[in-house]
Amino acid sequence: MKKSLPMFREPDACSCDEHGHDHDHGDHDESRRGFLKLAAGAATALAATSCGTKPDFDALLQKHYKVMTDEEKKKVFARLEERTRAITGVKVHITDPQPMDGVHFAYALNLSQCNGNRRCVEACARENNLPNDPEIRYIRVIEVDNGSQHLEKGTVHYNPEKVPQKGKFYLPVQCHQCDNAPCVRACPTKATWKEPDGIVVVDYNWCIGCRYCQAACPYHARRFNWVAPSIEPERINPNQGYLSNQIRPVGVVEKCTFCLHRTRNGRYPACYEACPTGARKFGNLADPESEVRKIVENKRVWILKEELGTEPRFFYFYG
Amino acid sequence: MRALHVTAGRLCAWALSAFALVACRGKHGHDTPPTPPPKHAEQVQIEPRSDMLPAYPCSGCHADRKPRPEKYVLKEFHEVRNHEFSHGEDAFWCYQCHSIKNIDKLVTSTGELVSFDEAYRLCTACHGDKLKDWRAGMHGLVVGNWNGEKRKKSCPACHDPHDPRYPSLKPEKPPAPSKGLKAF
Repeated sequence: MKKSLPMFREPDACSCDEHGHDHDHGDHDESRRGFLKLAAGAATALAATSCGTKPDFDALLQKHYKVMTDEEKKKVFARLEERTRAITGVKVHITDPQPMDGVHFAYALNLSQCNGNRRCVEACARENNLPNDPEIRYIRVIEVDNGSQHLEKGTVHYNPEKVPQKGKFYLPVQCHQCDNAPCVRACPTKATWKEPDGIVVVDYNWCIGCRYCQAACPYHARRFNWVAPSIEPERINPNQGYLSNQIRPVGVVEKCTFCLHRTRNGRYPACYEACPTGARKFGNLADPESEVRKIVENKRVWILKEELGTEPRFFYFYG
Repeated sequence: MRALHVTAGRLCAWALSAFALVACRGKHGHDTPPTPPPKHAEQVQIEPRSDMLPAYPCSGCHADRKPRPEKYVLKEFHEVRNHEFSHGEDAFWCYQCHSIKNIDKLVTSTGELVSFDEAYRLCTACHGDKLKDWRAGMHGLVVGNWNGEKRKKSCPACHDPHDPRYPSLKPEKPPAPSKGLKAF
């Protein structure tokens, strides 16, 4: 059986069979309904205690990431690590790598070389602890007819024996880490913000799950955890960042973070390493010698939905 | 005298606009990188290839075989490549690139012997536009770290010189179809 990770709303996510929740069977008598509600409440409370998972008050009282001291962060990370270990038996390590001075991350994608093999999609899922059921994927690869830019007529569900198909080109879309990010402005709780190195992050503890950011994003880059994510223990990546691939609780929004737990340590993102064609280019836009900078300077780069003024850090080019 | 006035005026205007620009930049902090980017060990290595070739050194077999200098269709002993030769139409044949004198080396059009590790020198003799992009890291695979040691793959890592088109691949599974809120 797959073990899920109920983080905030334990009583709902409880998987014990013996605490079956009571249901109202069509009798609309008010007093009876009130009684049933009480009974159901008691049953869930009992379920919570007897399952060994009490409501997590530490998580409820946790401060915003930006105002936490290093000491407080340490405690939070230890609590999250312990929680994952208790539920899945996997020992994970949560870190909090900081943005580097003078680094402005950017991505460039060569559409002449991308052949739509989706290696990036799956590598991203493994790296970032994305669940399979219900499926969450940060990268969508759109198959579009050659000679057109009609992305709305393209499909992400293509599944031929071999790619690339004749007469098609492939356009991967993920979070564009916009400089003028509509999602950040939409957030009512300041649970999402742009870091100095250009990465837009989410404090999963402060996200209230209103999904305004999801509606605001013109690139369909944000995903919502409708249920507590269930990841097979052997698929869990133990190298986790607090702002990136830590296992998300139910009811929060998540997104691509350019694998900040890797990239802030000098490594390439997982999608980059998985790409066999060399279509993906990643680096520091402020470094004149970096590959992305050379591409932006020398190639005809373009961005998606330029007219919206989102100023993405994700460039497409041919060549 | 008038010219001097004009010049001074221009200078003033320029100074003012420059000041305005600097002031503006200062206000929107993200326009200018705060400090110079960190220096990384930029010495990009080109990944050697001879270790990866299954039958290298070629002289293992070819030492006691007489080279056939005429054009012919190669059918035997090169099963590793189970496909047709399709590069440069009929213009190319074995000893265009492989040295007839030293089978463990490649040969350029000027007769210079080049090791398999430097195969890109042969490729880029024709594909000069790609050389520029590849040198700058705009074309081709770069592995390692963006900030630290990185290695560049040579042309034949992706493009088999005998059939240079990138091979087609089986795609990973498509995303699950969205059928409403089935997860509940």
